Amino acid sequence: MSAKDNSGNGPGPFLELRDIQKWFGGVHALRGISLTLELGQAYHLLGENGCGKSTVIKIMSGALEPSAGEIVLDGQTYSALTPIQSLAAGIETVYQDLSLLPNLTVAENVALNEQLVAANGRLARLFDRARLRQTAERALAAVGLPTDRFFLGTTVSDLPLAARQLVAIARAIATRAKLVIMDEPTTSLTRREVDNLVRVVERLRAENVAVLFVTHKLDECYRIGGHAVVFRDGQCVAQGPIEDYSKKQLAELMTGRSIGSERYRTGKPSDTVLFEASKLSAPGVKDISFNVRKGEILGITGLADSGRNELAMAITGVEPASSGAMTLDGRSLAIRRPADAIAHGIGYVPEDRLAEGLFLDKSILENEIALILSRLSNAFGVIDRNEGRTIAARLSEEMRLNTKNLDLPVGALSGGNQQRVLIGRWLSIAPKLLVLHGPTVGVDVGSKDTIYRAIQSLAEAGMGLVIVSDDLPELLQNADRILIMNSGRVVAEVDAGQSTEDQLYKAMLTSKLEAVQ
Amino acid sequence: MSTSRIDELSESASAGRSFSLGELVRRRPETITFMLLVAICVIVAIINPAFLQPSTLIDIGRASVVMGLFALGVFIILAAGGIDVSFTAIAAFTMYSLTVLVLNHFPGMPMAVIMLVAIGGGALLGIINGLLVHHLNVPSLIVTIGTQYLFRGFLLSFIGTVWIMSLPPQMGAFGRMPLFQFESANGAIVTLPVYFLFLPLAAFVTWWILNRTLMGRAIFAVGGNANIASRLGYSLRTVHIFLFGYAGALAGLAGIIHVCANRQANPFDLVGTEINVIAAVVLGGARITGGTGTVLGTILGVLLIVVINSVLVMVGIPSTWQRLVVGSFILLAAAFFVTRQRKK
Repeated sequence: MSAKDNSGNGPGPFLELRDIQKWFGGVHALRGISLTLELGQAYHLLGENGCGKSTVIKIMSGALEPSAGEIVLDGQTYSALTPIQSLAAGIETVYQDLSLLPNLTVAENVALNEQLVAANGRLARLFDRARLRQTAERALAAVGLPTDRFFLGTTVSDLPLAARQLVAIARAIATRAKLVIMDEPTTSLTRREVDNLVRVVERLRAENVAVLFVTHKLDECYRIGGHAVVFRDGQCVAQGPIEDYSKKQLAELMTGRSIGSERYRTGKPSDTVLFEASKLSAPGVKDISFNVRKGEILGITGLADSGRNELAMAITGVEPASSGAMTLDGRSLAIRRPADAIAHGIGYVPEDRLAEGLFLDKSILENEIALILSRLSNAFGVIDRNEGRTIAARLSEEMRLNTKNLDLPVGALSGGNQQRVLIGRWLSIAPKLLVLHGPTVGVDVGSKDTIYRAIQSLAEAGMGLVIVSDDLPELLQNADRILIMNSGRVVAEVDAGQSTEDQLYKAMLTSKLEAVQ
Repeated sequence: MSTSRIDELSESASAGRSFSLGELVRRRPETITFMLLVAICVIVAIINPAFLQPSTLIDIGRASVVMGLFALGVFIILAAGGIDVSFTAIAAFTMYSLTVLVLNHFPGMPMAVIMLVAIGGGALLGIINGLLVHHLNVPSLIVTIGTQYLFRGFLLSFIGTVWIMSLPPQMGAFGRMPLFQFESANGAIVTLPVYFLFLPLAAFVTWWILNRTLMGRAIFAVGGNANIASRLGYSLRTVHIFLFGYAGALAGLAGIIHVCANRQANPFDLVGTEINVIAAVVLGGARITGGTGTVLGTILGVLLIVVINSVLVMVGIPSTWQRLVVGSFILLAAAFFVTRQRKK
């Protein structure tokens, strides 16, 4: 560890984990984690899904008890923390699921916990509405959200996802936190909102607050700077200033194997046009024409409000187009709802796989065969389970799921494996065109690699693929061509093999300026 | 620079400030309940102007007390994402056992003490519910179906099945004690009894707990998402015990008022009216999935059901139609709330 990292921040570390072990039943999730967090520092907890990151966070925030080991917090030694102890000591967590209460207002979500902690968890207390508002206003202003009464009184379930993410961050900094833990805080934020977050973090560090990030976005880690802490299989495999490691090194430490950042795309599309859209209009989409050839991977990107999401939904019938024409294999298509798209052989893997795609409490088997139930059932509507099992086993094999147990509920899988189940389901209907919306959102490096390889082999087999994403490296590594959208129009088209991330990002912004002028 | 979604948010926020009925209904679904209530009153008043007599209003007020107390209890549990169907059994158990106790052992017990014992007894039975819900970690619907049978079975097997027609004098007197009294146009004496006051009082206390204390916010937090609430440091055990204890206390109070008002104690009474009460709460805009609703809405829902019950006869519709009407209202209101949610 370099000298500047220990440069006098009080007498000792704020939080120290000593040889923490955690078993879940027979699974040894943490195998002796020792970690020291100092005030005023930023830490990046890196690792693949299932490596124990979330477990460590939950132990720090008091949501889980370690099976063995000790926690030294502010000089006091504990065998386990309760949520209230952890909060009272100033440990605030922004969970990946945001942990907002959907039916309460923004102000209550941001500032109620301050009073709960002050009351030491006792509920027979009056709550102070004036203080609630003051605290909420201060915290919301810090993350760049509105602070007017109307916004304070808005119910959280009425907010878009990006705003909810910022509300969750505002809650973490509303109290005098000493350690703010952020579990994938930027998954649904635009670049500008991320910039804002980076400033919030800098201010927190200047105020001598420790910040612990859990993220898959390595670029953001380098921008923020600080310590990298790399986990693999429940063990800490590396610790040190993040600038001492290259991206490639980090990825290798996380996965334990070498991962290239080179282009996955090696194949060439055929010359036959598979899908053509002409003068397509829909809410948020204006007059768009493009085509996809057989075996081609087309990337579509743009800022969040560019219309890229709406275009994907128009092609797949989720939010049907209001005018324009589409053809597939030369035949014209009328797509009014998702069932039409499926019938024509167009598959859609939505961005929000939890809300829109998967039945989390159902097994892998049931999720994989959800689209082909009618094909699997006989004249009496009885489903041929054995045939289904054979198909599901083949799909899991193709998507390289890391389990052979098809009866496992999908909710028990990691994000990367869930995404693979979802893509596998679409393969069951052998689509001609597959639209993937943010295929690797919240997915770790190793799973990304598997998903990219699967996407490439689908293209090799002659399927047309459309990837809608704001992950620019993902598009550059996988696509043949990339369409850049802005204000509902396609403003640029680039050859993915010849472009860089900077060029793409500039195109996204410059074209915006041009569109405005 | 690009407009981010957050900028749009502030824009749409300011746009949202302009008045729209749809938005009002979405934010405060009890508006619909209120409009239904007014519509029914207007229609009935046109068909039969006798409806507007003060005696009718007082009848409605009197008839709302027991159902209103029950409904407040159901509402507070619904707000926390649970449901209770045992409250009528709690009320029957407390009222009958207490009447027997006073009659046979403590004939001189003052009315105030009787009420406190009823409230305490109800709370105790409610706390049993709360402990079971929390420690068995079983949905409260199942637990309270079980305890409904349990409480009622215990009452009928061990306490008694005899219909008590002559109450202890202090209870009978309390049931008749007037808040005010006047002679109506047709010469009958109309009385608003003192016990009516317990409904607004209980409504105020419930409102105050829900909106002014940390417990109230915790109840809604648990109703929003119990796992998250516990992660944020809310004690689910405390919330569950309080909730069911409070609902039980209201049920005990409702039970003893029911006895005093009817001047008899029937151990077979009350159980079977749960659905009517839950219907009132849901008509008041509280979602059955929990985490929403208001005390005002609950009271409006109760008034709506009581008005439907009592006025159908006045406009010449057979009282057997009451269920038909309530059923259609529930479906209409539910359909309305749901389409509002989707349009958002």
